[in-house]
Amino acid sequence: MSAAQSVVLPTRLPTPSPVASRRIWSIGGGKGGIGKSLLAASLGSQLARMGKRVVLVDADLGGANLHTCLGVAGPPLTLGDFIQRRVERIEDVAVDTGRPGLRLISGASDFLSAANINYAQKIRVLNRIKALDVDVVLMDLGAGTAYNIIDFFLASDISLLAVVPEPTSIENGYRFIKSALYRRLRRAAQGDEVRRIVDCALDPKNPSGIRSPLDLLAAVERENPAAAEALRRELRAYQPHFVVNQVRGEADAAIGQQLVTACARHLGIRASYAGFVRYDDAVWRCVRQRRLFVDDPEGARPTEDVRQIASRLLQGENLTLPWA
Amino acid sequence: MQTLRGNHYDVLGIEPSASGDEVEEAFRRCVLLYGEGSLATYSLLEPEEVAAARARVYEAYSVLRDSDRRREYDSTARPFAADEPEPPAVEEARPEPRVLPDPVTGADLRRVREERGVALKQIAQTSRIGVRFLEHIEADRHGQLPAVVYLRGFLQEYARAVGLDPQRTAGSYLARVPRR
Repeated sequence: MSAAQSVVLPTRLPTPSPVASRRIWSIGGGKGGIGKSLLAASLGSQLARMGKRVVLVDADLGGANLHTCLGVAGPPLTLGDFIQRRVERIEDVAVDTGRPGLRLISGASDFLSAANINYAQKIRVLNRIKALDVDVVLMDLGAGTAYNIIDFFLASDISLLAVVPEPTSIENGYRFIKSALYRRLRRAAQGDEVRRIVDCALDPKNPSGIRSPLDLLAAVERENPAAAEALRRELRAYQPHFVVNQVRGEADAAIGQQLVTACARHLGIRASYAGFVRYDDAVWRCVRQRRLFVDDPEGARPTEDVRQIASRLLQGENLTLPWA
Repeated sequence: MQTLRGNHYDVLGIEPSASGDEVEEAFRRCVLLYGEGSLATYSLLEPEEVAAARARVYEAYSVLRDSDRRREYDSTARPFAADEPEPPAVEEARPEPRVLPDPVTGADLRRVREERGVALKQIAQTSRIGVRFLEHIEADRHGQLPAVVYLRGFLQEYARAVGLDPQRTAGSYLARVPRR
């Protein structure tokens, strides 16, 4: 390692910069099998078609398959090689995808313990990703609410939360959104007593009766009003975007707005609705053929949905449905 | 969990200047959000919290849809959430048991729908069921209705849209439909 690289690791995780031209996007969702990787691949592809320079990062450590979604072979060099320092520069593990403007940092064929990277490794990955010379870095996160997944989610400028219109997915989506928020609040908490209250809130059956972020703020307010104000700022700044995948009708599409309303009313979280992607058999057929649906004329409808999401997010807009 | 707070306008999520149509629209959205089958609230809120929220929605709607009651409310309503009374007890507020006889008829369903101000067109929009079929359901024109296997789904959608229990409503209505 050169002297320039042997810097002291920061004690706090990097936070997104609101003014940077390079934007970090991430897609999480809590539940597996809801199409996160396909969303990431298609969104990256659409952003590249819009002229953006994009790097997709398969941050589903231990379960990476973004290369298959894109229809490319598992690259010889992967994120694991960078994490293990077999490769020093993260740029060197980014490979072409055959699509202009779109490169991939794969997690394929990583060592079996890849999912368990330590804190310093995580910081190093995040810092190097933030230094990539591209317009958008799009991270595909794994399922679940492990800290490694949530920390990537929180370090993003645009945090997308994918759900499908099914109870299990929505349930896990709420769990993810709350876990990420509590992680964020824990990092911002000032003083042992406030940290203790936040830790207490992590247990849904906590004896203090804290069941939502709003309950948590009320509990902190009683102990330490100044600390509560700091947490309130964090809560306001936490703005995940919902994406509803596999939509089969207007009622399904309306779920995104209902989730936003429910988050605001009952959790105090200012989420927004980035859009929905319609269910289409063409997507499934393309997956079977290891092709991406955006490349197939039969996948035109979901492709257009993804394009609209990309366009909306680039312009900082949300989806509002007149009938939802 | 945070219950619905604030005045009637807050509960429906509208401005005090909202038009009658906006009140109707907001009510319909809230019925879906706090309906029996709502995906957005089922894992977030306890059943009693959903029922309490629904009660507050109906309470707000019953005042704001009626221009006289709304005017009176506006002249006396206190703007701050902290001044608002707690939501009424769940048992008092749940409308379903009181309004629905069993077996339920199309006319009963129509009465509930009209009481709650949901237009057939709105149900058709959300459920993608043709208005014609919805009219057949309300008119008890059983001969014009599709086979039970489809009709059950239609009835469940209808019930959901007006804030009734989908399974119970469908089962109750189908009890009077002759099997073909």
